[in-house]
Amino acid sequence: MDLVHGPGGQRDAWSRRVLALAVVATIGFAGLLGQLWYLQALEGVRLQEMSEKNRIRIRPVAAPRGILFDRNGLPLVDNRPAFTLSFIPREMEDRDSVLARLSVLLKVPLAELRESLDRVPPDSFRPVRVRRGLSLEEVTEVEERKLELPGVVVEVEPERVYPTSTFAAHLLGYVREVNEDQVKQGRYRRGDMIGQSGLERLLDEFLRGRDGGERIEVDALGRPVRMVRRVEPDPGAQVITSVDRRIQEVAERAMEGRAGAVVVMDPRNGDVLAMTSSPAFALDRLTGNLDREDWRRLVSDPMTPLMNRALQSQYAPGSVFKIIVAAAGLQEGSLTPMDGTYCNGQFHLGAWTFKDWKEGGHGHVDLRSALVHSCNIFFYQAGLKVGPEAIVRYARAFGLGGPTGTDLGAEKPGLIPAVDWKRHRDGPPAWQAGDTINISIGQGRTLVTPMQVARMMSAVANGGILWKPRLVQRIERADGTLAYSASSKMTGHVELSPVVWAFLKGALVGVVNEGGTGAAARIPGILVAGKTGTAQSVAKSDSNKGQDHAWFASFAPADDPQVVVVVLVERGGKGGQVAAPIAHKIYQAIFLEKVAMVDLGGDS
Amino acid sequence: MLRVDRRLLQNVDWLLLGTGFFIIALSILSMWNLAPGRGGSALAWRQLSWVGIGLVALVVVASVDYRSLVRVAPAFYVLGLALLVAVFVLGRTVSGARRWIHLGPVTFQPSELFKLIFVLTLAWALSTRPGESLTRGSVIGSLALVGVPFLLVVRQPDLGTALVLVPVMAAVLVGIGVRLRVLGAFALAGVAALPLAWFALKPYQRDRLLVYLDPFRDPLGTAYNVIQAKIAIGSGQLLGKGVSGATQSRLAFLPERHTDFIFAVFAEMWGFIGCLVLIVAYGLLVLRGFDIAASTRESRGRVLALGVTAVFAAQTLINLGMVTGLLPVVGIPLPLMSYGGSSMVASLMGLGLLLSIRMRQFR
Repeated sequence: MDLVHGPGGQRDAWSRRVLALAVVATIGFAGLLGQLWYLQALEGVRLQEMSEKNRIRIRPVAAPRGILFDRNGLPLVDNRPAFTLSFIPREMEDRDSVLARLSVLLKVPLAELRESLDRVPPDSFRPVRVRRGLSLEEVTEVEERKLELPGVVVEVEPERVYPTSTFAAHLLGYVREVNEDQVKQGRYRRGDMIGQSGLERLLDEFLRGRDGGERIEVDALGRPVRMVRRVEPDPGAQVITSVDRRIQEVAERAMEGRAGAVVVMDPRNGDVLAMTSSPAFALDRLTGNLDREDWRRLVSDPMTPLMNRALQSQYAPGSVFKIIVAAAGLQEGSLTPMDGTYCNGQFHLGAWTFKDWKEGGHGHVDLRSALVHSCNIFFYQAGLKVGPEAIVRYARAFGLGGPTGTDLGAEKPGLIPAVDWKRHRDGPPAWQAGDTINISIGQGRTLVTPMQVARMMSAVANGGILWKPRLVQRIERADGTLAYSASSKMTGHVELSPVVWAFLKGALVGVVNEGGTGAAARIPGILVAGKTGTAQSVAKSDSNKGQDHAWFASFAPADDPQVVVVVLVERGGKGGQVAAPIAHKIYQAIFLEKVAMVDLGGDS
Repeated sequence: MLRVDRRLLQNVDWLLLGTGFFIIALSILSMWNLAPGRGGSALAWRQLSWVGIGLVALVVVASVDYRSLVRVAPAFYVLGLALLVAVFVLGRTVSGARRWIHLGPVTFQPSELFKLIFVLTLAWALSTRPGESLTRGSVIGSLALVGVPFLLVVRQPDLGTALVLVPVMAAVLVGIGVRLRVLGAFALAGVAALPLAWFALKPYQRDRLLVYLDPFRDPLGTAYNVIQAKIAIGSGQLLGKGVSGATQSRLAFLPERHTDFIFAVFAEMWGFIGCLVLIVAYGLLVLRGFDIAASTRESRGRVLALGVTAVFAAQTLINLGMVTGLLPVVGIPLPLMSYGGSSMVASLMGLGLLLSIRMRQFR
């Protein structure tokens, strides 16, 4: 079959076809004239009347944002109606005097009011949100003076409300009006409220819903006369998280006044039961009318309250890392439970002297008691025996130095240094025996996040499974259908012989229950297993001794692990003295005050 | 190359040029009266400066032999593609779509220019030497050539421009004598590919597309435009409200009133009589274009003239169809009427191409 008609150059055929196209175009123009005749001649009078009383205004109706629930169905956030002050630029006849009046009435700087109008065309009739969260008194003031304030309207919109203003701040994240950059990306309209951090941002697509709208007829003064049409908003989807609100609250209370992070995880499925970072920021402050000064103060705060320390802060693991050294040594055969040494508090390597944290040393120790009492001298020797390559391999197998993949984003990967005995011209300095000694007790260049440690402790508790931390169990749309559901995901498996697992667990039980460094976490009746750590902080000032970060990584009950609790206190001091008591409070609440604990573990 | 031949000057198509100027004059008049006070005249002056730039471009385009333009079409094509890609990299987003490039103080919309490059490329790919006939390969090859920029334009997302390219392509294929049966097969293939394209889009782009199809999905946006435009047009009735009576336009009930919806402003001010005049002018312009295409013997000139005319016709018909409520709303300016530099310059360059072909017919 020929694609085209015969040879080209036939003038008649070409002209005929062009003529046919011209006829098609002419029909199009004729059709347009027909439509214009219909609109202007036949419908003209009616449309003329409509144009005369054309005072149709459009008002967006914000969709209520989806609610976040804890694993037991308790709400973590909620919505409440809030008053928003908006301008309709087109209707503000004497702009300066209206703004001046409002500024006095609401005690808001004039510049701030003016700024919100600068970004929109002056003849726009779409409401521009100026100030959210007006108090009832302010609303009354404005409504009473409505006639003097043309173009000013008060709208009711749903707004986030939190149990307490800092509750699970880093996990939930704050909701705030889109900023200019986000508007430029084109996905949002100016004035949209979107999640800016945490789960609110991660799940914004689900939570936001779809705004509706009202077409309203207004009179000459802009007062609504009649609603022409209303399109209901689609509310956002409901998110069922893995968090246990009660444990989260307890963990936050236990950390009060401290800087640091707590992660509580279910070692059976990787569910994150609680994740705290302190100091926290006030969610409701960030949602509302935060002025520039407040924002600057928050961002430049040396305590970095906006940072999620559970995921975004990296610390040396300290003696918690001894678990890795012991596991590597036992599994590779370079260590046995019978290995022993005499600890006099000092260890010499070449010209260097490495000290134990305990003056005078621990005396005779074997592998188990070295873990229980966290003897550094033993582990210096053990590290040299096991070798840095094996230590690094096992640390990575346990997921240290790599992101846990929580989906929350901006997670720091930590660092397990590569062992390279050769010196490279531009690379890091060659590995030396001193580096091996440092890594054996989790110091030096080694960096981990609290979430990584929680994942590692889960693996110790459950016999080697590395879970991807799960924060969201499922998302249900407003009509009840399932929008998303996540099952637990395994991201790795550590292969150790059962004997080694048993030894490690036993030693960790000893840390807490046999007068070891973690004795402060001991709870009668519940077998808590854990390891303390005291990490030299990389940070500056050498002024006082309280510079060390305190770690306590633990799980319970040791014979049937249901929860992993990891506590990190920045510049807290010793892990056993500072972090272990915090874990104690959390365990106490979980196991001894079983109030609302409907179903702690079981995957729903 | 720029040496002007006196014979060429004698053959300038004054009817085509005059009709174009007439439409531009109506456009400036509408803008001048669009807003009370200085706003309207400022708009009109800015548009006039674009007309000036466009006229220079028109003269340059008309003086160059269009055959040499077609010869270097591949270079234009590559440049045009580069510009479309540049939009993604440096582009500025306006009302949700990234179509503009900043060049100092002015913004520039490559897809407007690309319509002409598109037509030049078609002329390059689909013209034949005397005595030769088109091969199947060159037809299919031309489809591939236009497919790439088409996808880029869709991704911007500039659905309007993409929608103009489809009828233009169809008109050119009909013109060169592709059998209707084959065209039908292409159309079917295109329809079949639509679901695939759907999955390639991001959710918010899908939303936007659904709004195109069903304006009431977005009660605050598109539907409002359509309703207000209808009221504006209809209330003009037979004789129009004149300049001061055009409340719809002047009181800003009508969004996008100086760009894509400028016809509604015009219709409100001048009524059916005015519309009749304007539409006859557009019809004249388009028919004159077809006439130039039909009377050209040289193969490249034929395809080029037909393509440029089809761009004019498609843009005009789609824009007027959407403003009068016959077609869903997509962002397409009305050639020579809508405010916007890129569109005005590109339209005048298109006129320049038609003039150029006409002038060189008689040698």
